[in-house]
Amino acid sequence: MKGGILNPDNGFEAAVKNFLKDVMEKADIDALLLPFKNAVGDSFEWRLVTADKLAEASVVPPVIAVNGARALSSITRSGKSAMKIAALMRPCEARAAIELSKLNQCDLEPVVLISMDCPGAMPLQDYIADPEKVEKEFEHAAREWNNELIRPICRMCDIFTCTESTWCDADIHVALPETENNAVAFISNTDKGREVLEKVGIGREEELGDWQKKMNARIEERKAARKKAREELKQHVTGLNSLSDTFGSCINCQVCRSVCPVCYCRQCLFNSVKVHYAPDDYLLQAESKGTMKFTPDTLLFQTGRMTHMSVSCVGCGACEDCCPMDIKVAQIFSIAADETQKLFDYIPGKRDAPPPLRVYNEQELKEYET
Amino acid sequence: MKGKIGVFICECGPNIAEKVDVDKIVDEAAALPGVAFVAKHKLLCSEDGKKFLKEQIEEHGLTRLVIAACSPKAHESTFMKVCEEAKCNSHLFQMANIREHCAWIVENKEAATEKAIRYVKAAWRRVGYHEPLAKKEIAVNPDVLVIGGGITGIEASLLLAHADRKVYLIEKSDALGGKVNEFEKIFKNMENTADMLAGKISDVEKNSAIEVFTNSSIEEVVGFLGNFTVTVNKKGERTEIRTGTIVVATGYDSFDPLKAPKYGYGKVDNIYTGREFEVLNKSGKIVGKDGKTPQSVAIINCVGREEMGYCSGVCCLSSIKFARYIKEKLPETEVVNFYREMTLPDKGYQKFFEDTQEKGVNFIRVKSVTVDNSDKGPMITWQNDNGDEHRNVDMVILSAAMTAVNDAETIADMLKISRDETGFFLEEHQKLAPVSTATEGVFIAGCAQGPKNIKESLVQAGAVAGRILSLLIPGKKLEPEVRTSYISEAYCIGCRMCLEVCNYGAICFDALKHVSVVNEIICRGCGNCVGSCPSGAVQTKQFKDIQIHQEVVEVLR
Repeated sequence: MKGGILNPDNGFEAAVKNFLKDVMEKADIDALLLPFKNAVGDSFEWRLVTADKLAEASVVPPVIAVNGARALSSITRSGKSAMKIAALMRPCEARAAIELSKLNQCDLEPVVLISMDCPGAMPLQDYIADPEKVEKEFEHAAREWNNELIRPICRMCDIFTCTESTWCDADIHVALPETENNAVAFISNTDKGREVLEKVGIGREEELGDWQKKMNARIEERKAARKKAREELKQHVTGLNSLSDTFGSCINCQVCRSVCPVCYCRQCLFNSVKVHYAPDDYLLQAESKGTMKFTPDTLLFQTGRMTHMSVSCVGCGACEDCCPMDIKVAQIFSIAADETQKLFDYIPGKRDAPPPLRVYNEQELKEYET
Repeated sequence: MKGKIGVFICECGPNIAEKVDVDKIVDEAAALPGVAFVAKHKLLCSEDGKKFLKEQIEEHGLTRLVIAACSPKAHESTFMKVCEEAKCNSHLFQMANIREHCAWIVENKEAATEKAIRYVKAAWRRVGYHEPLAKKEIAVNPDVLVIGGGITGIEASLLLAHADRKVYLIEKSDALGGKVNEFEKIFKNMENTADMLAGKISDVEKNSAIEVFTNSSIEEVVGFLGNFTVTVNKKGERTEIRTGTIVVATGYDSFDPLKAPKYGYGKVDNIYTGREFEVLNKSGKIVGKDGKTPQSVAIINCVGREEMGYCSGVCCLSSIKFARYIKEKLPETEVVNFYREMTLPDKGYQKFFEDTQEKGVNFIRVKSVTVDNSDKGPMITWQNDNGDEHRNVDMVILSAAMTAVNDAETIADMLKISRDETGFFLEEHQKLAPVSTATEGVFIAGCAQGPKNIKESLVQAGAVAGRILSLLIPGKKLEPEVRTSYISEAYCIGCRMCLEVCNYGAICFDALKHVSVVNEIICRGCGNCVGSCPSGAVQTKQFKDIQIHQEVVEVLR
C-alpha cells in the first residue's frame, strides 16, 4: 500500500482539517460535508459548510447519528449542480453512498468522497444519556483497540480501513495515527482522488508497510470475531420459531427502516395494501395455527426487509442504534448479508460492481435449482 | 367473490379422466364461494366442447371462468377466443393445468386428484383478482426504411417497392452498389458485375416509390414496429422519416491484415488486400508499385480466420476468382494459391475450382504461411508436412475474412438490436427467424447478419421483403400485447435499473417526475423489469403480486 504521509504538529484532527482546507482552496471544492456537534450538545449532525467553519467540525465523532450517505444523498439526488463537495465519513458511510449512487439515489460526480480509518462508534443511546462520559470513553476506546464499550456491530466489522485486502472505494482514504510517529497518511483510490492529492501537493508513493501490517493483523482479528458472532447469532435465528422469538419483541415501529442508509424505497411495501389481507384470511390462518399474533406482520417485516437489504447492507449499525427494543438488528442483518453477498459474489459499496438485480448470470443460484 | 364464476373440468379423453377423479373436483369446485356453475366435459377444445362452453357461459351469465385442462401453452388462446365470442372478457379467465402437472406425472390417483383440486382452487382464487383488460389497436405506417444501398439493400428495396411500398433507401457513400461495385466480375460464371448491378441501380432510380438518400447516415431511431421515426443526416441536413419497419443491410468490412503482421502487409511492397486487388484489376492494369507486370502472384487464403474465429465461406471462391482475373489478363503469369481448407459448398463451385486448376493455377495446401521482405520482392514461407518451404513472388494478394462493419455498435445501440460474439448483428433465431431481430420491426439482411456471398445476400433480401409484406398490411391495425408492465409513480425511486434490463427499449425515464415509464405499445410483458425493480414499483398486468400471491396461498393452504 502506498500513499502520502504528513507528520502533524498538533495531532491528527488538525492535520485532517488542514488537509480539507487545502482541498477546498487548491482542488476547486465549493463546500465541505462534515459532522458537527449539535446545538444542544447531545448528538452530531451533518452540515454543508465552507472552510471558515472547519474548526468546529468533528473529524471522528464518537457516534453515527445520521448516516453520512443519507446526508450526501439528500444533497445530490435531485438534479445536477456545478457545485463541488468534499465529504469526509466512515468507511461504512462511504460504502453506503456508493451503493446509493448505483441506484441513482446519490450523485457522486460532484463529490470527492473521503473515508477514514474507523475506530468504531459508541452506542447512540449511551451518548444521548451522558455525552461527556461517553466522549471520554470514546477517546479511550478509540486508542484501545476493540474496547467493549464500542458497538458490537463495530467490533465485528472488517472493513474499517482501506488496505489492499480490504478495499474501500472512496476517492481518498485517510489513515489515522497508526503509522510511525503518529503520522496521518492519505491514500488515493480513484483518478479523482489522485488528482486531488496532486493538487494539494501530497505525494502518493510513500510505503505504508508498517501501517498496513498493523491493519492486516486487526482485520484478521475482526474476521475471527465476525465468525464467532456468526456462530452465536445462528443459534437464535435458525428456523422460523427461533427467528420469531428473536424478533418477538419488535413493536413494528419501523424506525430501523427509516434510518437505514440504503433502504431505498419511496414507499414501503410493509405500509402498503399488499401486505393487508381480508379478515377471512387472518381467521383461516389463526384457525390452522391455533393462534395468531397481532399486529400480524412484524416477523414478515423483519425478514422482508432483510431480503430487500441484504445484498446492499454495509453493516453501519444505524438500525440497531435506534431500535427501542434492543433487538440485535444490525448484527443479524449484517451476518445474513454476508451469505447473500457471497451468493452473488457482490461487495456492496464497490464502485465497479453492478447490483445483482441488474445482471443475469446463467450459472448463479444453480445450487437452488432442483 | 366478484361476479359469477364458472368452473369447467376437461377430461381430455382418457388423458385426465383415467388419472384424476374428475367428479370429486366437480364436487369440491361447486362448494367454493362465488362459483355459479360447474361442469365436466370429454374434450373442451373440440368443436363440440367449445360450443358447450360458449352456451354455458351465456346461459348462466358467467363473468369469470376457470378451466381445468391442459397446459395454457396448448389451449389458453383457444379458450380465450371462446370467452370473447361469449362476451366474457378473455382476461377474466384462468387455466389450471391438471394434465401435465397432475394426471401425467402423479402416479397415485388419489394424490393426483388432491393436487388437481388444489390447482383448481388456486385458479378460482386467482381469477377473483383478475381485471378485465381491453384490446388495443394501433394504426401502422407500412413504409420501409432500408439502411445500406449495397446489393442487399437494393434488392430488398426493389421487391418492396414492387408491392407498392414506399421505401427510403439510406446509403452513406455517394453512390448505390456497395462493395459489389468494386468487383469487375462475380464468381462462378465470371459474368460482368456492371451488367447485373447497373440494371438494378437504374430500376431503383426509375422507381418513384423508392426515395434514395446518398451521403446519408441514420442519427436517431425512436418508436416501435409500425411507428418508427428515423432521423437521417445528409451532409449536415437532417430529415425525419416516419416508417413502419427498418431493414439493416449495412454489409461488411474486410479484416484488417495489419492485425496479423505475419502476412507482411504494410511492411512488404506489392502486398494487396482482396479489395485493393479488385480495384487494381478493375482499372484494367494488373501491375506492381513499380509499374511492372508481375511474373508471379501468390494468393493467400484464410487471412484473419484464426483472429476472428470463424470461416467467412466466401474468400476461397473470391481467391479463385482473383486467379481467373490474372489468368485472363496475364496468361503467362504464374499464380499460386495457398490455402488451408478449400470451402466449396453448393452446386457448381467444385467445378469452378477444378476449371481454374486446369487453367494452370497452382493450389498448394499449407498449414501456415508468412510473408517477409527480401531483395527479390516478397518472400513466401509456408509450412506443410515436408517442413518449411520458401519462394519469391512479385505480388501477393491477401484474401481476408469478412468482418462486421466498424459502426456496427452504434447502429446496434440506435436500433436496440444485439450483436453476437463475431460482432455481426444477431438474428432472433438462427433457423426459425434468421432475418428478424429482438426488436420487432427491425430486420437484418445480407452481410450485416454474417459473411455471405451475393446469392445468399439476395435470398435474405427476399426473405426480409416477404416478412415485412406479411407483417404490416396497409390499413390493417396491429394488436399489441395487453398484458404489459406498468410502473407506479408513487413507488418508483428512479434508479433506472428497469431501463437496463428491458430488451425491447420499452421503458424511458421521466426526468421531471424522476420516475421510469413503460411504453405499453412496445412492452411485451416479459417481466424482466418486475424482477429487477428494487422497490417493487413495477407490475405486469395479469401477473400482479396480488394475483400470484393469492394463487400460491391457495396451492399451499
